[in-house]
Amino acid sequence: MMEFLHHILGFDAESPLLFTQFYFWAFFALVYALFALLMSIKPSAVSNQRLHLRNVYLLFVSWFFYYKTSGLFLLILAFVTLSDWLIAAQAYKSKKKFWLCLSVIIDLGLLAYFKYAYFFTDMINDLFGTGFRVFDIFAYIGNGFSEAGRFSVDTIVLPVGISFYIFQVISYTADVFRGRIQPVKNILDFGFYVSFFPQLVAGPIVRAEEFIPQLYKPFRLSRRLFGIAVFWIINGLAKKIIMSDYLAVNLIDRVFDNPLLFSGFENLFALFAYSLQVYADFSGYTDIAIGVAMLMGFYLPMNFNSPYKSQSPQEFWRRWHMSLGRWLKTYLYIPLGGNRSIGFGTYFWWTLIALVSAALTGWWWMMIPFCVFIIGVAVWNKIQIRRQPSAISNQRKLLCSNLNSFITQVLGGLWHGASWNFIIWGGINGIGMIVEKIWRKMNWHIRFTVMTLLTGGLCVADYLTNLPVWRLFAVWAAIIWVVTAVRYIYFLCEGEDTKFTKALGTAWAVLQTFTFITFTRLFFRSSSNLDPATANEVAWETAKNMVNQIGGAWTNAVIVPFLVEYRWVVAMFVAGMVIHWLPTNWKRRYRLAFSAMPLWLMVLVVCVAIVVIYQFVSAEMQPFIYFQF
Amino acid sequence: MRPYKVLIFIACVMACLGALCVVLPGRIVLGERTLNWPTLAEVFGESEYSEYSEYSEDSDSIAEFPVAPDSLLADTTPSVPTPVIPHITADSTTDSRIFLQPFYASLTESSERVVRVLHYGDSQIEEDRMTQQIREALQAHYGGAGVGLMPLVQTIPSLTVKQQLRMNGRFITPAQGPQRYFVYGFKRNQRADGLYGPLGQMAVMNDSLVKGSEDVTAICKPQSGNPRYSQWKIFADTAIHYSLSGDTVQLKGHGNVYGLSQESPTGVIVDNIPMRGCLGLIFTKMDSTQLTTFCRQENVRLIIMQFGGNAIPSNKNPGTISGIVKGLREQVQHLRECAPEASILFIGPSDMLTQTDGVWQTYPMVPYMDRLLRKMAYEENIAYFSLYSWMGGRGSMMRWQETGLAGSDGVHFTRSGARKAGKAVAEWILEGMSATTSLNDELME
Repeated sequence: MMEFLHHILGFDAESPLLFTQFYFWAFFALVYALFALLMSIKPSAVSNQRLHLRNVYLLFVSWFFYYKTSGLFLLILAFVTLSDWLIAAQAYKSKKKFWLCLSVIIDLGLLAYFKYAYFFTDMINDLFGTGFRVFDIFAYIGNGFSEAGRFSVDTIVLPVGISFYIFQVISYTADVFRGRIQPVKNILDFGFYVSFFPQLVAGPIVRAEEFIPQLYKPFRLSRRLFGIAVFWIINGLAKKIIMSDYLAVNLIDRVFDNPLLFSGFENLFALFAYSLQVYADFSGYTDIAIGVAMLMGFYLPMNFNSPYKSQSPQEFWRRWHMSLGRWLKTYLYIPLGGNRSIGFGTYFWWTLIALVSAALTGWWWMMIPFCVFIIGVAVWNKIQIRRQPSAISNQRKLLCSNLNSFITQVLGGLWHGASWNFIIWGGINGIGMIVEKIWRKMNWHIRFTVMTLLTGGLCVADYLTNLPVWRLFAVWAAIIWVVTAVRYIYFLCEGEDTKFTKALGTAWAVLQTFTFITFTRLFFRSSSNLDPATANEVAWETAKNMVNQIGGAWTNAVIVPFLVEYRWVVAMFVAGMVIHWLPTNWKRRYRLAFSAMPLWLMVLVVCVAIVVIYQFVSAEMQPFIYFQF
Repeated sequence: MRPYKVLIFIACVMACLGALCVVLPGRIVLGERTLNWPTLAEVFGESEYSEYSEYSEDSDSIAEFPVAPDSLLADTTPSVPTPVIPHITADSTTDSRIFLQPFYASLTESSERVVRVLHYGDSQIEEDRMTQQIREALQAHYGGAGVGLMPLVQTIPSLTVKQQLRMNGRFITPAQGPQRYFVYGFKRNQRADGLYGPLGQMAVMNDSLVKGSEDVTAICKPQSGNPRYSQWKIFADTAIHYSLSGDTVQLKGHGNVYGLSQESPTGVIVDNIPMRGCLGLIFTKMDSTQLTTFCRQENVRLIIMQFGGNAIPSNKNPGTISGIVKGLREQVQHLRECAPEASILFIGPSDMLTQTDGVWQTYPMVPYMDRLLRKMAYEENIAYFSLYSWMGGRGSMMRWQETGLAGSDGVHFTRSGARKAGKAVAEWILEGMSATTSLNDELME
């Protein structure tokens, strides 16, 4: 019991409070017990004080939670809370942009320091051949201005959740500056908004205007919402442990660690399974966060809306990590000009991306077509403005939207991780969105011609080089070409879409979007236990090896034995995808049916669900089986 | 709904789950399936958190192998059925490198002729990750150049030599190359005549098996290695004709190709021979005449066998492990017959992790197998390097994972981990020369 209490109260970097561990739920039960006691104070007498007390209590609980997760990095959280609270107040009073800029500089400066120091150092070393190394100034100060001491000055540790709470405080200051919300008078209330523990480490990113009004509303939880909250928690646990951890441990991690040990089919399967795993992991965690917050009477925004049902990359980004998407749209895409204009910001980011890419690849010749392109864009844009100063043509909208959304995607990729693979990932997503938008604007004659030329070109490239990457693209393009040809012939013969053909078209679009997003996942994985330079190298090697295996080491004879030997893993993947693709109203129905259960039955169902989930925690591992030699 | 009601709900769920912890004894066997549920002790962390703390971080020293006390071997978490592990006592504390003396002696000839080392192993040595370290260390001290043997069709890329294949003038992927046969892996890929060559795999150039495979060009570019190799050796049927040009070899004709080798005429040549998924019980399936001839002609003076890891995940029974070690003993005896002049070094399995009740821990059979192999090695008078002990014993793989030296599967090293392990083996071999010379002197006196 003493050991248990020590785990509950002390800081141990090895044992953070995670939603999937018993310790978190013990912690939550204790927190909730006191919360219930506070909420039992008679509302008629001290209503406002009670709300204030609740907020202060949850603030300190959240700080304790963060301390348990990140130790002394709590000070960083406290610092940004204080600085943005003060700056936002000044920004509101003076209406000067200076204060907004100051907030952004401080917040992004901290994020850059803790998250991107290695990345920038490596980039500078690569560009200029220098040998700089990171130096942790905070550790130096913590050691009493000494390099030796309790803290290591040679490494900069990334505080947990910093990417999330930094974006939250920026949104607060920006919203206050724009007059969307009033500044929060009490710093403790503001601290609560920044630190609320269910969403502190993994989102969703709650915007000030969505959350701060809730601070002043009394506790409200209907019977049905209680049931929904419990459902989200169990649903999240099942996603995280069954769909994510089980698949990861028994197949995905092995393949991504050593793609060369596995055949092309196994690599492809693992890649698709990884798509599901990433979704289940992230959305499972936020589902739990939403459920836990709801039990305390706070409502967090939805963060995932069945993203693999998307029919286009653009729709995918409206359904995936929605809180980040909304944040980027409000505070990056629209300030850049959105789909209405392109200005200094757009040219600056495009030029910077091109310069850095050219410098790192050594392909300086790329700058010539880039300059032609960007000057062409600028001239065309000017001409359009002169022709129609008050209206925006559709072509100009398309251009502005594409240029700005590409920057948003690349910077969004960088937000996910401080390495090149995440930037590439963002870039591929950006290109995918642009291509899809252009594709939609083509008629069937052009689509068929384009696909024929593209497929032919890829087949020739495959034949001439015999490189797996070309084979992979050629096969992919050939599949799309076949379907495009069928649809083209149908268009020529029938012309009109029927209900059935529309449904087929939707299924095809969903499948293609899922495949495209899965392909981008090649660049989404990075080892957190490696230094960033090595992580970059490993991520690139992994992507390369997986492509080589899928495109070059394909053996049909492996497929059946693999499906038989890994039947549980395959079954979990199939079940996960089937559940994911269930119609939304079906899901709503079973969610409501659960929430309407009598409480005693709900207790029973929850217990059974936890016992079942635990079977996956404790399941024996799938033994290694090699199908290719 | 009022918060106190929510609290009652939470309390009820926790009480029910807690009651299950008391009522259920950890594991309930339901026919072929097992229902797992933690005990209260496990929930409160009395068994999980200090399991690995007793092992020191400092594991670089390999001067002596600390044998884990027997008590540790039986120390598994309560929920895991404890295997019945027979007590084994290593009958000697002598430095096993004494058995490498003939190899050390042969190194003195390396300035005049080739001294060959064959490094057989499982997936842990793929990509030439570990062997490269041994090769570089030996070649730095005793001369020699080149990566040594490689198959005609290199399906697993190597860090030290990059291979491209052309068939009938067109670039191909390995899967499109000539038909291959292995002594390990699927039976459908095995040969009845046992003619696999020293690599345990071979390729057949035959137009009727794979169209165009009677004309194969292999471009094998060394990726590292200083000095550069100075000669090719082609191990193939006499019906195969070849022509050489730089890093390119063109083979024509119908017949078997057992391997290509980039090497020097003198010095130490170390061949990397990975056998994915292999237990190591394959040498007796290889044609002994062919192997004997190769070892004699190529002056093989050291054979490194690095096996055992593939026996661990699927075997929980000490009897099975014991049987596998018995089989490995037969392989050692067989290799000794094929290569009487060669010393043999056995490298045991690394620490390997599995997840039990959500907790990563060492497979119970790893320490057992390590001890059995050590015993076998002493009895057969061969050297033994315990990778498991060198890493730090039980649970050490977790530290390797944390520092990026091992993959998240808890079984395979990363490249940097393999480099570290290979370097340790190389140093251990080299240091053994002086260590065992003095020991030998003492024994002689």
